[in-house]
Amino acid sequence: MPNMFTLVLQIAVVLGVCRLVGNLFLKIRQPRVVGEMFAGILLGPSLLGWLAPRFSAVVFPSESLGFLSALSQIGVIVFMFLVGLGINPKELKSQGHSAVLTSHVSITAPFVLASFLAIYLYPRLSDNSVAFTSFALFMGAAMSITAFPVLARILTERNMLQSRLGTVAIACAAVDDVTGWCILAYIVLLIRAANTGNPVWLTVGGLIAFALIMIYGVQRLVRRFESIYRERGQLSDNLMALILLLALGSALCTEWLGIHLLFGSFLMGAIMPRDTKFVRYVLDRFETIVVTLLLPLFFAFTGLRTNVGLVKGSEMWMYCGLIVLVATVGKLGGSMVASWWAGMPLREAAGLGTLMNTRGLMELVILNIGLDIKVISPALFSMMVLMALATTFMTTPVLEVICPDRVIRGEAEAAAREPLEIKQMELSPAGD
Amino acid sequence: MGALDLFAGCPTVSMGDKQVQVETSAWKECLVTKSNSRFAMAYVFLVALPVLGLAGILRSGRNLAAPISVGGAWEVQVDAGKLAALPCGKSVAADLATGFAITQSGKNFTLSFANRPAASTGVLEGTRVGATVSPSAVWASEPGCGDHRLVSLAATVNTQANLRSLEGNLTVNDCPSCSPVEFRAIRKDQTGSKGVH
Repeated sequence: MPNMFTLVLQIAVVLGVCRLVGNLFLKIRQPRVVGEMFAGILLGPSLLGWLAPRFSAVVFPSESLGFLSALSQIGVIVFMFLVGLGINPKELKSQGHSAVLTSHVSITAPFVLASFLAIYLYPRLSDNSVAFTSFALFMGAAMSITAFPVLARILTERNMLQSRLGTVAIACAAVDDVTGWCILAYIVLLIRAANTGNPVWLTVGGLIAFALIMIYGVQRLVRRFESIYRERGQLSDNLMALILLLALGSALCTEWLGIHLLFGSFLMGAIMPRDTKFVRYVLDRFETIVVTLLLPLFFAFTGLRTNVGLVKGSEMWMYCGLIVLVATVGKLGGSMVASWWAGMPLREAAGLGTLMNTRGLMELVILNIGLDIKVISPALFSMMVLMALATTFMTTPVLEVICPDRVIRGEAEAAAREPLEIKQMELSPAGD
Repeated sequence: MGALDLFAGCPTVSMGDKQVQVETSAWKECLVTKSNSRFAMAYVFLVALPVLGLAGILRSGRNLAAPISVGGAWEVQVDAGKLAALPCGKSVAADLATGFAITQSGKNFTLSFANRPAASTGVLEGTRVGATVSPSAVWASEPGCGDHRLVSLAATVNTQANLRSLEGNLTVNDCPSCSPVEFRAIRKDQTGSKGVH
């Protein structure tokens, strides 16, 4: 049994600090979630445990962290369901070559660069219980992810959601998320299969069968929820509980099949009906408790596992700097070059690259999986958390330099006039 | 515009002294063809070639060697009587009674006891493990033991045995008359290789 006093104290401290730091970050035009991620680090051994080790040991005794972990994991399971729910397949389908190319390059460029960096980091930050292939693939997947929810929030706060840049960024991030999670699922599957000795084909076969059941069986059931919502304008508590049960059940199935709980909840979200009002209704019902209570616990738990003290000495900080550099060059540079090649103006392409470089919360989710399956070491975990913070933090200020508000407004107006301009585009007069 | 002008080379019509592109079926067809070929070219350069490069990286990385794994929980076997005779020996024996845990990051590691999260940092050189355990508040209360006392741990990892083990000595620093005490540690969770090689 958990010590309830300690657990409630932990929750109170985490919520208080996350709210406080989140509000401070809002004042410097950063999304609240970046502040909450930062608050998690402050509560861990990197600051609180270093400055006040006795107080830290009283509030976060090591034997109590299992309960905090369990609560935070439940939060992330529901959060991943909401991420899947928020992804609109129409956004994936409706975008043209530009978005397809940009999204694919924004995965391959950081993936390849990260794998190349893995050649350097593997002998220095890993050990021989981890295979190089697993290490390199994990580094690639971790660096190629984009935080779809944080990106959407930044675009909303800057009134860019309806702009051409905003719509392309959202579509690319959606493709990135789906692709990134598929790649990660494959990596986790390989590692777990190697550890347990189960044949990979058995897990893959089971996963395909499970996905088919979800798409052709469960999806039909959940479509009824949408019909009921249309008829009544709301869903009963029983139906909301059933949706939650299905998300948890799906999570259990993917865990049992040998990948991870989070893939199941993401899949459940992704097969939910896509009616905008229905999606908004379900999101509203779950979002408050997840965003205000459970995600801060996840940030705190991640912060408690992050020990910046492990990044010790100039050599280790150089590795950390390299990781931030490679992640930024791969993601920002890759997306920028691809979208520019596809015909986007240079400034807009740079803006898109900056947006795609937002990793935020999704990165933390992936890194925690990596640490759980021991494919990355605690020091590398801490460096990657710092990279996630740095790349997410830099998005808003860099975007303000590259794409100031007046430019975004101007380009939105220009985009509205574009069809006419194409028809009347002048070439150089003959003979000039 | 981006890297290539999509409209260059597509049919135009004369309007006075200017050449203007008008949305005709030939113009649309030209635009689609150019767009598709540019997309294909970009896809080959920016996606297909890097993926091939990735395959090369994974293949070449298979030959890399990482430090041997010492991470995990270790059970310690030591002569408690000999250890107790040393300054700080009783405190060290109490810490070691429940074993220790090693958290490894490459060659560097932290060593922790059940009641002390990060009691020591150490370095792994080949199969040689070296760490210096800093004193805890409990140590200071032991006669002859204080904040200045450090206990060094030096051991060799035995990678041949089925159960990975450590064999070495514990020595108290700044105590020339104290003889080293031998110890043996066996890793509890014998984790295998993670993932495909």
